[in-house]
Amino acid sequence: MLFNSLDFFIFLPVVFIAYWFFFYKNLRLQNIFVLGASYLFYGMWDWRFLFLILASTTVDYFVGQYIYSSDSNKQRKRWLWVSVVFNIGLLGFFKYYNFFVDSWVDLINIFGYKLQSSWTLQIILPVGISFYTFQTMSYSLDIYYKRLTPTKDFISFATFVSFFPQLVAGPIERASNLLSQITTKRSFNYIQCTEGLKLIIWGLFKKVVIADSIAPIVDDIFANYGSYPASTLILGVTLFSFQVYGDFSGYSDIAIGTAKLFGIELMSNFKFPSFSRNVAEYWQRWHVSLSTWFRHYVYIPLGGSRVSKLKSVRNICIIFLVSGFWHGANWTFIAWGAIHALLYIPVFLMGRNRIYMNNVVAENRWFPSIKEILQILLTFSLVTFSRVFFRSESITDAFGFLKQIYNNFSFEIYEHPLGYRMIDYFVLLGLFVLYEFRIRRDERSPFKFKSRVVRFIAYTLVILGMLLFFDDNIDRSFIYFQF
Amino acid sequence: MKKLILKSALYVFLVLISLELLVRVFHLGKDTPTRILDEYKVEKWMPNQNGFSVTGNRRQNFSEYHINNSGYNSYREFTPTKDNIEVALVGDSFIEGFHQNYYNSIGKKVEKSIPEIEVYEYGYAGYDFADQLHLINAYKEQFEAIDHIILGIKFSNDLTRGEYQVVTGRLALESPVNRLLKKSKLLVYCKSIGILDPPQRLFYRLMNILKPTSKKQDASEEEILRIKKEKENQYLANFNNLIDKYGYDKNRFTLLLDSRITSNLFISYLEENDYNYIDFSEYFEESDHSTTLIYDRHWNNHGRDLIAKAISKYLKEKELIKE
Repeated sequence: MLFNSLDFFIFLPVVFIAYWFFFYKNLRLQNIFVLGASYLFYGMWDWRFLFLILASTTVDYFVGQYIYSSDSNKQRKRWLWVSVVFNIGLLGFFKYYNFFVDSWVDLINIFGYKLQSSWTLQIILPVGISFYTFQTMSYSLDIYYKRLTPTKDFISFATFVSFFPQLVAGPIERASNLLSQITTKRSFNYIQCTEGLKLIIWGLFKKVVIADSIAPIVDDIFANYGSYPASTLILGVTLFSFQVYGDFSGYSDIAIGTAKLFGIELMSNFKFPSFSRNVAEYWQRWHVSLSTWFRHYVYIPLGGSRVSKLKSVRNICIIFLVSGFWHGANWTFIAWGAIHALLYIPVFLMGRNRIYMNNVVAENRWFPSIKEILQILLTFSLVTFSRVFFRSESITDAFGFLKQIYNNFSFEIYEHPLGYRMIDYFVLLGLFVLYEFRIRRDERSPFKFKSRVVRFIAYTLVILGMLLFFDDNIDRSFIYFQF
Repeated sequence: MKKLILKSALYVFLVLISLELLVRVFHLGKDTPTRILDEYKVEKWMPNQNGFSVTGNRRQNFSEYHINNSGYNSYREFTPTKDNIEVALVGDSFIEGFHQNYYNSIGKKVEKSIPEIEVYEYGYAGYDFADQLHLINAYKEQFEAIDHIILGIKFSNDLTRGEYQVVTGRLALESPVNRLLKKSKLLVYCKSIGILDPPQRLFYRLMNILKPTSKKQDASEEEILRIKKEKENQYLANFNNLIDKYGYDKNRFTLLLDSRITSNLFISYLEENDYNYIDFSEYFEESDHSTTLIYDRHWNNHGRDLIAKAISKYLKEKELIKE
């Protein structure tokens, strides 16, 4: 079920009303109901994959208990490996099996042996598998690191794993945040609900208006990059930056907003990464739940930055490569991760990776300084450059795309593949950037205006925008569902 | 909880009012003229209406229409005389031309090319060959005074029936409920951009849930060919039925068609039986630019230019104007 579908618009109010009217008195009933709703939400894609979620849930539920009750470190580690091997095994089979087979065949072919790839399988990638496996693993890891006590309530744990707002594309929650809320009685909070509704509207705007309206342009440019000049290709990858941001941050906003309706606070996933002043700040603001996951469970256990510079650089390389690989079974994502590692390392070596941790651009001012504007533009350009790899179908395409920019360095006015006015999109994106800059201090309050009238005008314009850019004929699924 | 529901309802109501206002101010939704069935059982627009036709979410196509005294979108009133030279264009929405300013229609373009003639455009969305011949027959006197009549025909669409009957489905759009709904420009706009399609689809899905579904069987190529042939023969029979019933003056009547989408059977039949026709396919094929609008398949200004060119060329060759 897609957040931007009619099914969800019926599903959400029904579940919301039932949740607060019929199940609010009994926490266990409330959780059983949310669990049922979550399984229904997921099962509407493909009910067969519910068994995978259930398997992952069951394994980590018991592994958590065993880790906790184990006396020796050796035993604890053994149980942790059960969780890691099981979850990574699921991912490995469903997501990476064909990639490994193909890569192996390619490698053999490089050495002159002719090998046909006959071991690949027709495997459907279960939606959200990368997200919920990481979430369940974090539970076992937290128990292993003694940050968490395991729950004895299977229903609560299953609800934590499959909580529908964040089940298929995050934010990837930690048990310390989400499970503790699930095991605590929730009562209706008017302000929390209105905040949730506002986030849902803003998220829908980002998805329907920004991401979906740009998608046909990006698809056209990347599919036919060989016939376009540099100006069009640069436009294509820049628009892709907006598309992927609108798509994923829109999804996260809807997820966070929906969770709020049920009295649950999810972690923020996007904190206006487009206004980052260096790549390190970008990673503190982009897909926060994943980057902190890797930080907590990979980077820090490897020694983080508390080891020698050389080892720290190695650790940075590892987390960016793994993070790239997490996105998809394709060398393009690994290259994308590698580029980010290369961009991050100089910032780290100069000691500038934590300087923007606790402030935003133009912190106490209306406008950014010239220096800040240049920093933002540089960071945005570097990140956008890396997205050539993120968006291309293969490494060959990515290099072909860059080669075409170099070889055909000329300007040409681009015409929309369906003949629409391009100026509409430029005006839209300009206004979007200005508005995001206006609200940059708080990613959870997109309509923070003192005046009720201004707030109302903002709602109306956002909904009008959705009408102006609505297109029933395009693929409305979210980009991150494929990961 | 009550507060949330009440406040949300209030906000939804106010937002809808504001959107209705914005849609009206920026004229995002199209105006829809009223349909009537006249005393001769001819379906047409209520005479003397003006408005704007809009296509696309962001007014990508915006044009003015004017329904004349005869109930058709045209800059002219239809008053044929024996002294002047008049040409009638009869057809469906392509001839009706709500997608262009009424003062820049195909007829006007033809008149620019041949200033001596007057072009009367009897276009109405959904008119098929039966509608067209019924109209000509119903207004016999008027059409007899017109020197030449061009009938737009799409073989696969316009010959599905062999006798004229009023199409009640279109007139149902003038039901009191629909009229009331049309008063909301926001609703008209939402319908035109397809935002109401998903709920409609869901509604039909729910309605059909209890109905037994017949399994679709893939037809073989021979079967498809046989059905196609059967249909073509039926359409040809319908063509003859209608002509037998209403008559067809081969000297004054000409068909306007696109041979790329017309059955060879029909083209051969027309040629063998001396029916005149204008084939505009060549003009469209040779065109470097798109001939249709962005949002629908109707002809854009360039497409209409080409149609006018084809008609003008034909009329010049026909030598309606005696030197």
